[in-house]
Amino acid sequence: MLSELLQGTDTGGFLIVQDNISHSGRPLLKSFISAALNRDEDVHVLAFEASEEELKDGLQGLPCQRLHIHNAYIDPLGWTAHPAFTVQQFCFEELTQLAKQTSQPKPATLVIDSLSWILRHLNPPHVCKTLQQLRKGGAVRAIIGLLHADMHQRGTVGSICHLATSVIAVSPGMKADEAVAKTTKRAKSGKVTQDEEIFRINEDLTVVVLNKTSHPGPKQTDQEEPEMDPTANLTFNLRLSDTEREAKEKLALPFVFSKEKKMALLQSGPGSGRILYEPDANDDYDQEDPDDDLDV
Amino acid sequence: MAAPVNSVVNSSAKCSSFNATSFQKKTRSRLISIPGTRPSVQNGQLLVSTGVTSLDYLLGGGLAVGTVLLIEEDRYDSYSRMILKYFLAEGVVCRHELFVASAQHTPDDILQELPSPILDDVAIHKPVEQPRLSHEPQDSLDAMKIAWRYQNLPKVQTALASSSRFGHYYDVSKMMEAEIREAAKCHRFYLPEHPTQSSPTHSPMLESYSALLKSLRDVIQREGFEVTAPMSKSRNILRIGLHSLGSTLWGDDLCCHDNPRHGHALTTFLYGLRALLRSSLSVAVVTVPSHLIQNRALMGRITRLCDNAIALESFKGSEREANPLYKDYHGLLHVRQVPHLNCLASQLPDHKDLAFKLKRKQFSIERLHLPPDLSETVSRVSRGELAGTAMVGSACGSGTSGNKHLDF
Repeated sequence: MLSELLQGTDTGGFLIVQDNISHSGRPLLKSFISAALNRDEDVHVLAFEASEEELKDGLQGLPCQRLHIHNAYIDPLGWTAHPAFTVQQFCFEELTQLAKQTSQPKPATLVIDSLSWILRHLNPPHVCKTLQQLRKGGAVRAIIGLLHADMHQRGTVGSICHLATSVIAVSPGMKADEAVAKTTKRAKSGKVTQDEEIFRINEDLTVVVLNKTSHPGPKQTDQEEPEMDPTANLTFNLRLSDTEREAKEKLALPFVFSKEKKMALLQSGPGSGRILYEPDANDDYDQEDPDDDLDV
Repeated sequence: MAAPVNSVVNSSAKCSSFNATSFQKKTRSRLISIPGTRPSVQNGQLLVSTGVTSLDYLLGGGLAVGTVLLIEEDRYDSYSRMILKYFLAEGVVCRHELFVASAQHTPDDILQELPSPILDDVAIHKPVEQPRLSHEPQDSLDAMKIAWRYQNLPKVQTALASSSRFGHYYDVSKMMEAEIREAAKCHRFYLPEHPTQSSPTHSPMLESYSALLKSLRDVIQREGFEVTAPMSKSRNILRIGLHSLGSTLWGDDLCCHDNPRHGHALTTFLYGLRALLRSSLSVAVVTVPSHLIQNRALMGRITRLCDNAIALESFKGSEREANPLYKDYHGLLHVRQVPHLNCLASQLPDHKDLAFKLKRKQFSIERLHLPPDLSETVSRVSRGELAGTAMVGSACGSGTSGNKHLDF
């Protein structure tokens, strides 16, 4: 599913790369940037956490005129006279303006590195609202955000991920260059698909999906025990002979109604009471068969 | 709820007070008859269907007019949205008026996805096919007679259903036709389209919620859904569907922090909503993303302010998905609160372990009931292993530890 998402998130998509202290999600984010550049899309990066050089490292061979980095790394809070981008500018109007600056009429992809930084400085409802407006606004084709899950309260992470169409949670793998990605994708119809994959990121930022981790299914007991008859060496008799079985079947069990007994109870014999009834004009007679729901 | 019914009865009784005798035969027709409603069997309150037959049964016949049903959303909001859509679709079919409010999706998005009603189906509720036991005794030789005492007991009916039919069935795979949908009068509230001006007055309620409440009150007053409204025209029911209330998109930080700044915003809104509903012919379904709300005390307060409360717990993404016990179901349903309307004691559901599944033509809530496990392999294997391990230490197995056979 990871390679599927890399090939292009659908319009209006919102993808979150969720990482934690033990494994950084930035390499995967850069893979997404390079994949979008390879598709000839405009990419706007809001860089709060990494410098421009660090972000461009590895993207040299690509058409970089499509890559627009809005540097908020140097002065994120606007302390100098001419900040490039500040955290206060993270609102719908400003970002739409930014996305429309590019010459191409095609909507661009917005990459946020990282959402955690923004959430530290703006209140979560405002961030959620802005993200939702951007998705619906049409100026941005897709949003890809990096989120450090261990930096925020669980509710905040949950609220942000609740808005996302896809969430990729990365965690360290068994080997040094491998990582595990747990992907949750929500289709527009409400269908949810989940997948867990091991992947590796090459030097040129291509992602290689190594194998799907097997789901902890029902474990097969490997050693087949030879089938043995537990009734072989018994100290008592478990089997019935024909005469014994006959005797067993003759036995009348308590609380068992035989057919004769049932019929005797249902059919009234002579001397018992009967109900005689003559229909009256004022009778409230129900036309419906009261027993039509019975399976008789 | 009884209030609207009573007052209507009173007003109609006054109209006919010029009758010669004071004696009046008590008849059903004195109750207001609105299509898609019926009086409750227990307390005579006017009920509407939720659109899900088994949920109606669970709530004691249906949703009483003037009450709020709270649905705690499942993790991915797929099934809770389904129930909301069923509720609205039932309103469309019964020609009730709708009020849809959302902050995330436009109300039209929700309305377009309404399931298609199955109108021409027969009312017969087919009994759920019992799963055939793999080792069903066929010949009399092996017929089990040990449990003879239980042979006359009825089989456990897992599906919840009442005898009489109320509400309609829907086909989830098909969308409702546009002309049916447009026949119903619908009021929409989409939060981004309502510019919320920050009011100078310091009120505990958020602007988004007060705008919603104001819009609701306007609709109720304008369209004459109040109980006190003149009886000049035929009455109708207003069905209110509020999607994902309390989420961050409503501007509420309820989900984000343990001690939210607007902790009283949603509860204040619910008080207002309840006051509004109690005095009008309307009924509301509210969904809340409770899995995001960290503060349980706050969630409890929200539950208390609604009349009915159910919680959906989807198996999607949880380890329960692989559990063979739940293989037939899509999730669990917890009943958090049942309504106490004009009484001290309320009718409780007879069964607490409930599960739901979404089939193409039905969203059904069933009793979680375990059939007897008669297959040879399932439990006996573990028993055998257990005996094997016990044998190593036990004295009676010491002599024949190599040859594994039955020991007592």
